[in-house]
Amino acid sequence: MSAWPALHWPSIRGRARADAGPLLLVACVVAVVALLAGATPPLIRTTSDEATRDAIRRAADDAAVRVESDWPDDYGPTGGRLRSPRLADDVAGIGSLAKSDLDASLRSALRPPVTTVSSISMAVTDGSVQRRLQLEYLRDDSGGPAVTWISGRAPGPATTDQSVEIPLNGKPWPMHIGLSEADAKALGAKPGDRLPVQDERRTPYDVRVSGIFRPVDPGDPAWRLAPWLLQPAANRDGLGSTRFGGWLSDQSLPDARLAFRPDQLRRTVRFDADPDRLTWKSAQALAEAVAALKGGSAVSAERDDSLKWATQLDSVLRDLRAQIATASAQAAVLLIAVLAGALLVVSLAADLLTRRRTAALTTARQRGASLPGLATELAIESVAVTVPAAALGLALSFALAGGAALTWVLPFVVIALAAGPAFGTLAAARATRDRRAPANRSARRWARRTGQLRRAALDAAVVALAAGALIALRQRGIGSSADGDVGLPAAAPALVALAVALLLVRLMPSATRATLAMALRSRRPLVLFAAARAAATSRVLPAFALITAIALASYAFTLNATTEQGLADGAWQSAGADARLTMGSEAAGATVPVTAKVAAAPGVRNVVAARVVENERFIADSTAIVARLVVVDTASFRRLLAGTPLPGLPDPAGLTTARDGTIPALVRTSDNTLRPGTSFRIPLQTNSAIPLVAVGAAPPVGTGDDVVVVDVAAAKAGGLAFEPDTIWATGPGAAAAIQASGADGRLTTRAGLLDERRTAPLTAGLTRLYLVAAAILLALALLGFALAAAASAPERWETLARLRTLGLRPRDSHRVAAGELLPVLVVAGVCGPALGALLAWLTLGPLALRMLTGQVADPAMVVPWWVLELGTVGALAAVLAAVVATEASVRRRRRLGDVLRAGGG
Amino acid sequence: MNGALLAVREVNRTFGSGTAAVHALRDVSFDVEPGTMVALVGRSGSGKTTLLNVIGGLDRPDSGTVVVDGLEVTGLDEDGLSRLRRDKVSYVFQTFGLIPVLSAAENVGVPLRLARAEPGDRERRVALLLDLVGLSDHAQQRPGELSGGQQQRVAIARALAASPRLLIADEPTGQLDAETGLAVMGLLRGVVESEGVTAVVATHDPVMMALADRVIQISDGRVPAC
Repeated sequence: MSAWPALHWPSIRGRARADAGPLLLVACVVAVVALLAGATPPLIRTTSDEATRDAIRRAADDAAVRVESDWPDDYGPTGGRLRSPRLADDVAGIGSLAKSDLDASLRSALRPPVTTVSSISMAVTDGSVQRRLQLEYLRDDSGGPAVTWISGRAPGPATTDQSVEIPLNGKPWPMHIGLSEADAKALGAKPGDRLPVQDERRTPYDVRVSGIFRPVDPGDPAWRLAPWLLQPAANRDGLGSTRFGGWLSDQSLPDARLAFRPDQLRRTVRFDADPDRLTWKSAQALAEAVAALKGGSAVSAERDDSLKWATQLDSVLRDLRAQIATASAQAAVLLIAVLAGALLVVSLAADLLTRRRTAALTTARQRGASLPGLATELAIESVAVTVPAAALGLALSFALAGGAALTWVLPFVVIALAAGPAFGTLAAARATRDRRAPANRSARRWARRTGQLRRAALDAAVVALAAGALIALRQRGIGSSADGDVGLPAAAPALVALAVALLLVRLMPSATRATLAMALRSRRPLVLFAAARAAATSRVLPAFALITAIALASYAFTLNATTEQGLADGAWQSAGADARLTMGSEAAGATVPVTAKVAAAPGVRNVVAARVVENERFIADSTAIVARLVVVDTASFRRLLAGTPLPGLPDPAGLTTARDGTIPALVRTSDNTLRPGTSFRIPLQTNSAIPLVAVGAAPPVGTGDDVVVVDVAAAKAGGLAFEPDTIWATGPGAAAAIQASGADGRLTTRAGLLDERRTAPLTAGLTRLYLVAAAILLALALLGFALAAAASAPERWETLARLRTLGLRPRDSHRVAAGELLPVLVVAGVCGPALGALLAWLTLGPLALRMLTGQVADPAMVVPWWVLELGTVGALAAVLAAVVATEASVRRRRRLGDVLRAGGG
Repeated sequence: MNGALLAVREVNRTFGSGTAAVHALRDVSFDVEPGTMVALVGRSGSGKTTLLNVIGGLDRPDSGTVVVDGLEVTGLDEDGLSRLRRDKVSYVFQTFGLIPVLSAAENVGVPLRLARAEPGDRERRVALLLDLVGLSDHAQQRPGELSGGQQQRVAIARALAASPRLLIADEPTGQLDAETGLAVMGLLRGVVESEGVTAVVATHDPVMMALADRVIQISDGRVPAC
């Protein structure tokens, strides 16, 4: 006798043929979910790499690693300064030294260094206004950017004497420079000319033009560090100024060193990060290397020739790490939600199959088939359906995403494999077990109560697990793991959806009984029949699956809508208006005319100029507070804010008038140190202070949490005089107007910021995932509804057939059928979106959407009720109509007599 | 046919086609007088259920006519058949066919709801019928709380609720034990007399045959000329 259960292959084939449709549906669900679950993690990795590169590109200067080193003393034996003919090699040596100090991982992620020696910006005193000259020496691995001399010659040494010592207060030491064609033309200079220049102290310098050059490759990255060497640069040294560049050669660099004081000539080695060599994984190692480098760096205040490293790369990577961790965790939340919905639908499909097969399985069992044999037969069928479907999903995942995450797919596939055989075997066992209902009424009651207690224990376990996950999520947050590990917190939304859906489903029988009681009082027989059918067929699994899937779909939709709105709000918050111009402090004098020019431009609604001082230090009750100080005409600012979705500016009494030298201010601090009524002050270097008093609450201005807003008139009266350096403008023509004003400064547009953030790889990828997950969950919900309707169809047909024998008209039977399915639809359509919104409300903070929206605080929750309700109820109603129409069509083909006969009559 | 409540004329019904065709009814003709109880007997597969279905309009014959209370059933459309079943013909099935979530009284009231009877009239009629079938004390119990015999009695009460002219019963005692079956037979016989209804009852039960006014034998889809 074989230890293996006997298999009946004709039965296996026959069942598969008879139930080809439901099996195909299961295969489709498995394939789609395997594709999504398999492809999402590799896509997150790819997107993280892309985000890393994007962040490095966007950070540009911040991502560069800079090394500065002060000049060593060049005093000669007689107390003068010694000329160093090999200075260019020394400068190149700094670059090599810096490179050798780099960690291998860091070196591989950085481009070859470019060493620059830059002079101060000097005024050209040829009578023209605001022409400035800055001398530059560029050195890279190849020696420096190549040039062709089109007239004159390369700058040479001012002396052929190898050891020259000049007195400290002697006449200006001559230095030779080259000029680009464009600079020379603009300056009207030619080889041999002497450029009249002087510094801020009116000290003259002897700068001689030795030749005019043309760059061999204007695109050489080295030129980017001093673009004024190739073209005059406008507004670099204040509004209306033009900066020209004088090119120093290896030979003329020693003369420049002599011509300037050590603090007037700065040598810097710059390593640009190479985004194309970075991946998310390498960036993590890089962040550690940068931190170590900075940790071991000399302090910039020290006056010695040690290397002083400076970069914001580590903070760029830290922000990125937080963003990627958040995005990965959110993706995990969505994947778990989809898997939960898919498992419920696969269970529904297994339930449908089992219902269709119960009679056949019971017969097989009665004819001697063993339970292990039946289980094996069903498992063979399940493997034949599930494994190829999962393989197809994984193959598609490899094709589309370049990989597949088996850790996500395997658990789902295993459960999908087991569901059908488990349900079927259980049904066969139940149908043939020799356990009868006890004849004794109290024994029956005991058995019923035992069942109820078992169910209650299961429900309590699910609720406890969901509560635990939610508490973990709210306490620990979700973005704690950037390497893709997910824990209980990521499962919290799905578990809470399951728990609440379970509780709702447990309430459904009471609700349907109450509906039936009302229907019994109704004079409409169809209402009664529908309510009676609904009460008779009220099963847990379909409603449970439907509510859960719709809740999770609504959750994903809500997160998407919240993120979209958060991005829009974040762009408003960051820009402060439709357009913002931030001018350098040297150019701030031009703010007033620029403001007037912008205000007069078409398409501009409001313009306001302000002085924004970042990190201003305030003292309140011996406590130091660092906040953003905004000095602005509060009336204009209020008008401007009123035309935006940003919070308005309050108008408390006395805001614009300083009393007894005390400046009134609007305040906002995250720790509430400053609040209306608080007196505080701005300490001055002269050991005095400007007193302020908080008269109201300030709205957030920009992305900082701490802000002090002062009216410009009150500030002036209180001795706080500032030139405005920021212009905010609203209106469709605001950005164009600022651009057309020709003002120097950094223009930030709200639309540009929004577009930049919306298209950032992580944000774009995640919003796509929200929508894909929502669509799949909604499709799963609709499929679940159709499967549930199909599972209850035979009983429904039989009841309707019996009602037809009592005189129910065919068209009324359609209404009764629709009415029977309506309660589940209504509960899922109403409770699903509401539960989705509840989930979003519970988890919005821990999800840290602000990391993606660029807001200071979490975005306000946006529940697209109309879309959710119309979408879900509309889609469910469409499926209901299709189910009823299909059933009616099938019923029309079968005579009542056949239905009643098949039903047992 | 004059005076007959039910007239069946040359009814044929074939299922399938070609070599797989099954002739369920072949030229079946007979009349049933009002107020009589007819037992339709025959072996399994002889065509009893098919004949009952054709009489009640649940199935359409390939040829022939069925007239119930002057109304040609075979010529009615779906709405007409619904009206027929609501007003003139009712059924009692072997498996009772009660709605499980409704009480016995509510189940009995279903045809009256379909006929849009006034609630007061409905309640009175339901009480009368439950009394008739001996279930007044079980009016609020649901089918699951009743025995098989009690459920069938509720089904009979429901079939009589709309005061039909013709009661069709297909093996009404098929799922009942002998004693309960006998009680149900007696009940059917009683209601035929008390309600003046005409009944056609398909059965194997010799007791039923004894209770019937007339027995129609059906064999291989044929009914011998009466």
